[in-house]
Amino acid sequence: MKVFFATDIHGSEICWRKFLNAAAFYKADMVILGGDVTGKVMIPIVSLRPGHWEVTFGGQRVQLDTQAELDDIKRKIRDRGYYPAVMSGDELDSLNAEDGSVDRRFTQEMTKGLETWLDMADSKLRGGEIPCILNGGNDDIWEIDDIIEQSPSVSFAESKVLDIGGFYLASMGWTNPTPWNTFREAPEDVLAAKIDAVVASIPDMGRAVFNFHAPPYGTGLDEAPALDENMRPIHGGAVMKPVGSTAVKAAIQKYQPILSVHGHIHESKGVLRLGRTLTMNPGSSYSDGVLQGAVLDLNEKKGKVTRYILVNG
Amino acid sequence: MTAGALGEERPTLFLRNATGLVRGWSVRDSMIYACLSTNVVTLGMVEWTVQSSFPHGNLLYSILISGVWVSFLVVAYAGLVVTIPRAGGDYVWQSRILGSGIGFVMAATGWWFILWLWAPIYGAVLAEEFFEPIWATLGYHGTFFVSDTGKFVVTLITIALAGILVSIGMAGYARVQKWCFYGGLLGVLVLVILLLSASHASFISSFNLETHKLFGLTGAYQQINLQAAKAGYVAPTFGGGTFGQSLLLVPFMMFYLLWPNWGTTLYGEIRGANDFRRVFSGMFIGLWTTVALSVLFLLLFAKAFGWAFYMNVNAGQNLVAKAVLPIFPYPVLMAAWLVHNSAFQVILILLFSLWFFGWVGTLFLSSTRVIFAAAFDRVLPDAAAQVSEKRRVPVASLVLMLLPAVGFGALYAFNSTFASYTLDATLVIAVTYLFSAIAVVILPLRKPDLWFASPASKIKVLGVPVVLVGGVVTIGLLVFNLYEWLSNDAYFVNNHNSLYYMGGMYVLAIVIYVAARIIRSRQGIDLGLINKEIPVE
Repeated sequence: MKVFFATDIHGSEICWRKFLNAAAFYKADMVILGGDVTGKVMIPIVSLRPGHWEVTFGGQRVQLDTQAELDDIKRKIRDRGYYPAVMSGDELDSLNAEDGSVDRRFTQEMTKGLETWLDMADSKLRGGEIPCILNGGNDDIWEIDDIIEQSPSVSFAESKVLDIGGFYLASMGWTNPTPWNTFREAPEDVLAAKIDAVVASIPDMGRAVFNFHAPPYGTGLDEAPALDENMRPIHGGAVMKPVGSTAVKAAIQKYQPILSVHGHIHESKGVLRLGRTLTMNPGSSYSDGVLQGAVLDLNEKKGKVTRYILVNG
Repeated sequence: MTAGALGEERPTLFLRNATGLVRGWSVRDSMIYACLSTNVVTLGMVEWTVQSSFPHGNLLYSILISGVWVSFLVVAYAGLVVTIPRAGGDYVWQSRILGSGIGFVMAATGWWFILWLWAPIYGAVLAEEFFEPIWATLGYHGTFFVSDTGKFVVTLITIALAGILVSIGMAGYARVQKWCFYGGLLGVLVLVILLLSASHASFISSFNLETHKLFGLTGAYQQINLQAAKAGYVAPTFGGGTFGQSLLLVPFMMFYLLWPNWGTTLYGEIRGANDFRRVFSGMFIGLWTTVALSVLFLLLFAKAFGWAFYMNVNAGQNLVAKAVLPIFPYPVLMAAWLVHNSAFQVILILLFSLWFFGWVGTLFLSSTRVIFAAAFDRVLPDAAAQVSEKRRVPVASLVLMLLPAVGFGALYAFNSTFASYTLDATLVIAVTYLFSAIAVVILPLRKPDLWFASPASKIKVLGVPVVLVGGVVTIGLLVFNLYEWLSNDAYFVNNHNSLYYMGGMYVLAIVIYVAARIIRSRQGIDLGLINKEIPVE
């Protein structure tokens, strides 16, 4: 069975479209997205008067005078992983972080964007004929869970064990704490308990595959630039530090699944073996519109990964 | 969820709290990195000694020409950084834009194999600017550290030092690096005060006194000038020289001025044009700090040493079999002799050695990254990227870097012909840069979506994107240098053995890549897939 795994596309529509095409492109039997589906940035497009808008994107202020121009800039914004939010000047002026209006608008755009994506999935994946699994990530808002659950073409994997053709995929979008205080993060001991609870329902650990968003601590799959108290990379970015999860590492070492796939730390693409477990983080370049991923051959008879390659699709 | 707005009058974008959203790079940190890469003390002062190869060339002019020209390289690389950020530098840019094979061959040769030669070059610098001056100042009259064996021993020390620093990680070293930079600047300040307050006459008497005390020479200052004249060398006047020969010194100056982009693999997620300016500024200010320091040093040397003498003492290293001064004419040591106190002299040398120790730790850093990236791409065996579980030491990649470096270190120390191929170390990296510059220029054609989404495409002068102009001018710079290196005997790199040596590296990289394609294909893995773009529609 050939599986394509990618992660951390953060709202990039170009990456989502590539993800939906990945099964055909790599001749994969199944596609898995490891979490952090939603974007981080919202770009307001201000309606000036009927048929005219203004937006600042990529450092340039642009006036849009036709619907085609508006559609084009919205596509470019979405491709980069941002949410275009069309609004009036008054509406923009009324948005502020304190009263939660920015959060509400963000949520609205994220859920709307995800619904559009899942509609695309229905047609691209032939209504579920090609299995597609999505997971949450620490940056994903709670509202996405129900939306994905309701999709006819996509399976939501968060905190579940799914049978994927003779292997058991255990998924966990939660991570250890980050400096950004995101949605699905918990102290290591709590994370360990969550992992144990999910893994407990795997019937055969010899055929287990872990799909945990957080990479294992101190493995080279989890190296991010060290930051100062102002969230600024220190020493010109030359200093990397491990930021993965000790609970995830302990779980891999304890349960020894055949494969453990991760994401979360975009710049820490890599592969290593932890005991008998092939562990990897394909990384992410979503902002370039490049879908980094892993093409994996799982041998049902032997119960192991026979081949893999990390790709920049 | 906490979200905030960014913008001037009205917010132009909203960010929510999410992983990885960090504030921009500190321009100061990037500047320090770029300044240490284009190291005026360790590389610049060494390369200034070759001026006599083009006796009518003026060092000052060649440095200024180089600074202007390399500024365009900074523009081109800033464009690559903001278009494909934090992706592994030349290897990834070239792999994605030009193809996997080119990416691997250029990265393996320019960021890995040629570092085997940089190790002994750094060893030679450490011998000439640290061990030998201190050794001599402490009263040991031998020249062990500039002997073949001494150079090899120092090369081994350098390799060990760089290897240990790669093993223990960059965290502690980066802190040391910054303090080295500030300490090095303190040394510069002391040197400036010393040379400003010294008269030319006092320098002559101090030079003669100290060279007599340390090496038993009599009237060394005058002897050096006489020896140069006997060898037929006439130094250009300060501000004199011809433009043509000054231009021909540029390929020598690349030895230290071609590296302001050394840290481009380190830049992170980019949000807009402001980040382009920040990335550009860090490298640009670093480069021009080096140029400014170079000009300052040369002005001070002209004032205190005498311009003709400084040129003559350098020429003595290249034009005659046995120079009057038995050690490298290290300007810091010569300036330190103005104070007749060994402790002061050692302290000044130690302060300037911080320019070396603040940089040597990064010697193998890029090689490790290339080896890891190639292993993750399945071009190298998986074992090449393995690290020990307990201490996180990249054992295999260290072996792949250190062992050949020891071999080339021995060759460099004991074979004077091989040692003359020093500029091979610059040439091979310049070839790698050339392919990145080509990648910049063809980016709008090869990856239009990526290019037009990049903030780099929006920054224009007279309607032309500055990054493309930077790419074209960089190609000009590198082609000029490559042409001169490969066609002009003065650079010592266009002879058969040097070409075999460099060609051998390219052959080795190609063989590894082709072998990997064949072996992986037999294993059912198609390496051609690595950078093949998935269709969007």
